[in-house]
Amino acid sequence: MPEVLTMRGVTRDYSVGSGFARKQTLRALRGVDLGVERGKTLGLVGESGCGKSTLAKILLGVEEPTSGEVLVGGKPIQSYDRIERARLIQPVFQDPYSSLNPRMTVEAIIAAPMRVRGEGGRSLQAKVHELAGEVGLPRHLVEAYPSQLSGGQRQRVAIARALIGEPEILICDEPTSALDVSVQSQILNLLHNLKRQLNLTMILISHNLAVVHHLADDVAVMYLGQIVERGPSRDIFEAARHPYSDALLKAVLPPRAGVRLPEMGLEAEFPSPVNPPSGCTFHPRCQKARALCAEQAPCRTDADAEHSYRCHFPNNLKDEECPQV
Amino acid sequence: MSDDTRILSVRGLNVQIPIPGSTLWPVRDVNIDVGRGETVAVVGESGCGKSLTALAIMGLLPRQAKVQSEALRLNAESLAEASPKRWRQLRGDRIAMIFQDPMTALDPCYRIGDQMCEILQQHRKISRSAAMKRSLDLLGKVGIPAPEERLKQYPHQLSGGLRQRVMIAMALLCEPELIIADEPTTALDVTIQAQILRLLRDIQRETNIGLLLITHDLGVVAGMADRIVVMYGGEVVEVGTCDQVLAQPLHPYTEGLVRSIPVPGETEQGEALGYIPGIVPRQVGERTACGFVDRCPYATSACREEPIAMRDAGDGRLMRCILPTDGSARDPDVWILPDETSAQSATNSGSL
Repeated sequence: MPEVLTMRGVTRDYSVGSGFARKQTLRALRGVDLGVERGKTLGLVGESGCGKSTLAKILLGVEEPTSGEVLVGGKPIQSYDRIERARLIQPVFQDPYSSLNPRMTVEAIIAAPMRVRGEGGRSLQAKVHELAGEVGLPRHLVEAYPSQLSGGQRQRVAIARALIGEPEILICDEPTSALDVSVQSQILNLLHNLKRQLNLTMILISHNLAVVHHLADDVAVMYLGQIVERGPSRDIFEAARHPYSDALLKAVLPPRAGVRLPEMGLEAEFPSPVNPPSGCTFHPRCQKARALCAEQAPCRTDADAEHSYRCHFPNNLKDEECPQV
Repeated sequence: MSDDTRILSVRGLNVQIPIPGSTLWPVRDVNIDVGRGETVAVVGESGCGKSLTALAIMGLLPRQAKVQSEALRLNAESLAEASPKRWRQLRGDRIAMIFQDPMTALDPCYRIGDQMCEILQQHRKISRSAAMKRSLDLLGKVGIPAPEERLKQYPHQLSGGLRQRVMIAMALLCEPELIIADEPTTALDVTIQAQILRLLRDIQRETNIGLLLITHDLGVVAGMADRIVVMYGGEVVEVGTCDQVLAQPLHPYTEGLVRSIPVPGETEQGEALGYIPGIVPRQVGERTACGFVDRCPYATSACREEPIAMRDAGDGRLMRCILPTDGSARDPDVWILPDETSAQSATNSGSL
């Protein structure tokens, strides 16, 4: 399967500090390599500050990478102009209360991306109504304003707006975090059905691993601007190699009787990206850390063709099998 | 629960808020008990009245909200008749609250140490240096590294997890008997969430404080609660121990919630998840039927005839539903519905 989206060595620096403070460089992304095949969903997980949202902004073309390249359909993302790029890639944001213009009707909101391209008239109106039906919006709400809609309905509008231009890639940044659980499941069902019907490629950014488990084919775990583990969803959820992936999985609290709070072992603070720790950036929080971890950053190691990780002492491996000892 | 182990006892709590043309009734006839050393979770989705219930117990609702109750007791003291002066004495001393967002709950203009000392000096005859000492001890106790430095820092210099630890330390300053925690970990990362919950639970076990945990997250409840109070539409719809309610929910609303949450390792990728159709109705006027009837897949004509009373379901459980209490007549697949389109157009054609 061809990769519809490829990132090679993408780095993004920000300059922080103002006034008298010394200017410092915050490296939000440090050499991210990532590829997504057509029709697949990649789940991107990690704590706040790990660079997930910066990655999304670069994929949407809102931010330029400092170095490295982003290829969409084999061509650099910079070679597309804004309208072409919007035709290929569309976002769904977290908060449907702030991502919809309160003074536009639902119909106008959904039609907006097409109007920008100069389309209009009855055919567009028919298309809006058809799509509104497909995402589960009741007919009479098409003329309503966002304030008249519930959170779940608003998120359906946001999804319809993203889909009307028939994009190839959908970037969903925490699409269900602002919703109640009983509504969240409806949006998950909808996204799953749309993904299957339209053969959408999707990047799903979420801190909720249950959501990622439900939708993603592949999972990439980010820590401090790097992808520390990447592989098929099943491998990550059943046999994670990186201790950080393991900790994230443990932190999921299933709503089941008799469940106990997990022992996290992540006591140390999330480090500052301005001043990242030496060696493996995860070592101050890692229970398995040894002297080597503070000295040398681990390279990417392939567990198999699809599963790779960055760790000196991964889980499920004996010492002598470890890659870089 | 016997009367002498009960710290908080709420009976028949009602909150009404006048709005132009009518009256909102966001909390109806709520009963909650919290025992010493017990964690009671109030669970529900946005708009179910859980936060308003907490604020009513704290006496923090604005004046235009009418709060009525048959009984609102902290230990033996009736809070319903407490004067504003008495309330100020109780809050922060006997009852403490931990809010969802520590950034807005802490004052950005004052150092952590000053904010903590203020609470102690408000409630105790204590010197500033002794108050600082106690603040320092508590910051250490809630697992904050280098507490001496933190005392001199401002809230914006702390990470979200540290700020929430400061909130917990502040709540503990006067050794309260009851802590009300309103979504204490919702604003935090999952990894930090587990740490904060563990801290809350350890401290509660050690000090035997009663904890009223307000949350929408059934996973948090599973790890923390002894008993669960499920709220929907301003009413309590189900009460039971944590294990009872999660293993065998009795009220259809609870059942719907449990069925709508994906669980890695149990639900398969892309498996159709259950959901509760429709939306939460506005809470106006007297009940004339079950409050959940429009969204309930089990609803019958009997559910529409009169409001449903709370009834005993055995084993100390309560439910506000007329279905059999043994869990028969239930079908887990009833929540797997076709997408909202067809479900809604059916209800809409009826209502329009």
